[in-house]
Amino acid sequence: MGRKQVIFIALLIAILVLLPVVVKKDNIINLALLVLLYICLASSWNILGGYTGQTNLGHAAFFGLGALSTRFLWMSGWSLLPSVLAGGLLAVAFALLIGIPAFRLRGVYFAIGTLALAQILYITVGNVFSDISSLRPQDLATYQLVPRYYFFLVLALLITGTTYLLVNSKLGLGMMAVREEEEAAESLGVSALKHKLLALSISAFFAGLSGGAFAYYHVGYYPRFPFSPEWTFDSMMMVYIGGAGTIIGPIIGALFFVVVRELLALKLVELHLIVFGILFILVVLFLPGGFVEAWKKMQAAFARRSKERGVKVSFQTTDD
Amino acid sequence: MLKLSGINAAYKDLQVLWDVSIQVDEGELVALVGSNGAGKTTTLRVISGLLKPASGSISFQDHSLGKESAHRIVELGISQVPEGGKIFTGMSVLENLELGAFVARARKDKDQTLKWVYEIFPRLEERKNQRAGTLSGGERQMLAIGRALMSKPKLLLLDEPSFGLAPILVEQIFEMITEINRQGVTVLLVEQNVRAALELAHRAYVIENGRIVGQGTGEDLLSFESVRRAYLG
Amino acid sequence: MFVPLAQSLVFGLLVGALYGLAAVGLSLVFGVTKFLNVAHGELLMLGGYASFWAFTLRGVDPFLTLPLTMVFLLVIGVVLYKLLFAHMVKLTEEAKIQNTLLVGFGLSLILQNVALRLWTADTRGITTSYSRMAFTFLGVRFPIVRVASLGIALIALFALDLFLRRTYTGKALRATVENWEAATLMGIDIQRVYLLSFVMGAALAGAAGCLVSVGYSIDPGMGMSWTLKGLIVMVLGGLGSFMGTFVGGIVLGVTESATGYFLTLTYREVVGLVLFILVLVFRPQGLFGTKER
Ligand SMILES: Nc1ncnc2c1ncn2[C@@H]1O[C@H](COP(=O)(O)OP(=O)(O)OP(=O)(O)O)[C@@H](O)[C@H]1O
Ligand SMILES: [Mg+2]
Repeated sequence: MGRKQVIFIALLIAILVLLPVVVKKDNIINLALLVLLYICLASSWNILGGYTGQTNLGHAAFFGLGALSTRFLWMSGWSLLPSVLAGGLLAVAFALLIGIPAFRLRGVYFAIGTLALAQILYITVGNVFSDISSLRPQDLATYQLVPRYYFFLVLALLITGTTYLLVNSKLGLGMMAVREEEEAAESLGVSALKHKLLALSISAFFAGLSGGAFAYYHVGYYPRFPFSPEWTFDSMMMVYIGGAGTIIGPIIGALFFVVVRELLALKLVELHLIVFGILFILVVLFLPGGFVEAWKKMQAAFARRSKERGVKVSFQTTDD
Repeated sequence: MLKLSGINAAYKDLQVLWDVSIQVDEGELVALVGSNGAGKTTTLRVISGLLKPASGSISFQDHSLGKESAHRIVELGISQVPEGGKIFTGMSVLENLELGAFVARARKDKDQTLKWVYEIFPRLEERKNQRAGTLSGGERQMLAIGRALMSKPKLLLLDEPSFGLAPILVEQIFEMITEINRQGVTVLLVEQNVRAALELAHRAYVIENGRIVGQGTGEDLLSFESVRRAYLG
Repeated sequence: MFVPLAQSLVFGLLVGALYGLAAVGLSLVFGVTKFLNVAHGELLMLGGYASFWAFTLRGVDPFLTLPLTMVFLLVIGVVLYKLLFAHMVKLTEEAKIQNTLLVGFGLSLILQNVALRLWTADTRGITTSYSRMAFTFLGVRFPIVRVASLGIALIALFALDLFLRRTYTGKALRATVENWEAATLMGIDIQRVYLLSFVMGAALAGAAGCLVSVGYSIDPGMGMSWTLKGLIVMVLGGLGSFMGTFVGGIVLGVTESATGYFLTLTYREVVGLVLFILVLVFRPQGLFGTKER
């Protein structure tokens, strides 16, 4: 990381930390919180989907499991942090349980297999826990948005920071090698299964924690709601649109997603999903690197242009 | 009839053919020989349009093939028997042959061509309703050649038709190839079975590491010291 | 005991025929092009709405609009292919499956929400004068609309089978399924074969959608569940034999209704998914059929 980047990141974090202090409007804080929630989800999806190349269409299952168990433990008297942590661990346990058989499936079979699994949980949870889950009256009475916001902020920083450390480690390199070419990676002594399982576990852990944070944040919802496939699909689209396999990609994607959704939701309810669908297709077809790649391309084109201009200028000076 | 000049070709970043030039005249039986991985199959793929060369030109009877798609090249009269035959194992022998006559030029004479193919390979007629996947190795190779003939090719490209066959069958297949050539079909034959191919062919090219390193009549090459050493042991 | 069980199995069989029809379209497209079009369920939904509106606005009988619906979906298929899927023809097989999955997913999102905008989230169905008619056999009801749908699904299947077996184009399609490169060497224009199979798949989805809108109900969000059913059936039935796929559909339908009967209705949907995962994990090579070499 260059010095400029460090300053920029520090500034950004400072702004995020100070936001609730400066802005007192709950709806703005809530919006920022949603951006952070989606950053958590998208960044955690990115670890497996973006860096390791395994399209996981069952991410919502981890999110949902985290939410379900956190809510249950927390409401039954555990304190918050252990509850959330337990949610994350449950998600990992589930991930390991399905990971070994699921990774016997290559490519697309993994994708549709995980989708089917998540759907099973979605329906089953809907059947078993059919009553709405509300916070206890004493929690409701003292409900405050700001601590929830900070909870998500810490989580988003944790996930992003871990991703950064991960991709700059040997493990991360192995994951990316698996993404590029599994056979080649194996022949270099990189165990594909090990790396995929690790990426899956980390991804699931963070999704589970995010689910826990969601359970802490949300006042009342049907327990199956966090299991809904939309959480997966939204995360995946954010990652692709922002830039899969980059750290900043999911962040940009999440911000873009929430902002556009808010802007369009004022007029038409579902329009934003149409816009995202179109953008997503365009990215898959023509710009596999998403916004991040578009930005890099623009920069490169710009640099080339100014270089050419520079050459012209020097000609003029010799003419003089 | 067929002329490749200065062909360079690559799979992604890996260049496989370097400045390959080959010429086949009408009525000839030309062999292309070389060891494993030399680029023989790749050369045939370039001719039949499955792989577009990075540079160089290919012409066939005054047509430039550089921009033609693979299915158009069949229409123009080039038919390839791919490595291993690649017959449609789930379909009957007859269906395989019918598919050989898919192009409009061949389809109208299908029944007549079929008779001709059955004359060359009577075995195929006996087995016509059998699923192609149940054929023996030799029969599969016959079917692959017969299927290619169904398109009434002017130029037939054969990729190792003897591969994996017992010596007696190899001899038979080669006899049939000579017969097909005698009936007016120009043949470009790729072989690892160098001696047999050189005995059969009017002329031959030797390819090594993607480069043409020798050419001449079959007899000439058979007497070349380097070829003898490299391929004939 | 006998009658309710038999009744439930008969209903399972009847709905299974439609699962089969949906899956045959999906698997035709996948077999030939290796496009995994997960927007197949949305195409089915569009077919359903086409018939629904033709009936509601113009009073045209849904069984009469069936061919029109198929043509309508065929046109949509051409547009989608040219606009989106044609870009992915040249990819390697694995990349092709992956990218079409993603594009199909985006497409399903778009179609679903366009439908939601245009036609609201209401559940709809076509109620004709004969909708409530049924004949009874051994105490088991056979609603004639659904029985007719089974008949039509079978006719569509036999027509497809005849086309694939008897016509030159059909053989070219089968050849492409087996080995597209060898098919190219026969002079077959792969691009055209791809387009053809894609639009045929779309037309079959249209037919299925039309039948769903008469016998059952439609809504903008129905796509994903139908795509999943199609995928499940495709895996159960294996690729290569469309008859097998169709039978797979019936197996799923009957299994679902048996689950509904013996367990609870709420787990009907789950059983297919569980079956699906078991097959995926324990017979991965049997998935979508493997070719013999
Ligand atoms: N699809 C492909 N992708 C990448 N490299 C390839 C591909 N096909 C062939 N090659 C490489 O190109 C080179 C030439 O291969 P080619 O198949 O033309 O050889 P060949 O002379 O036909 O060999 P053989 O006698 O074994 O059939 C080889 O090094 C091979 O590894
Ligand atoms: Mg070869």
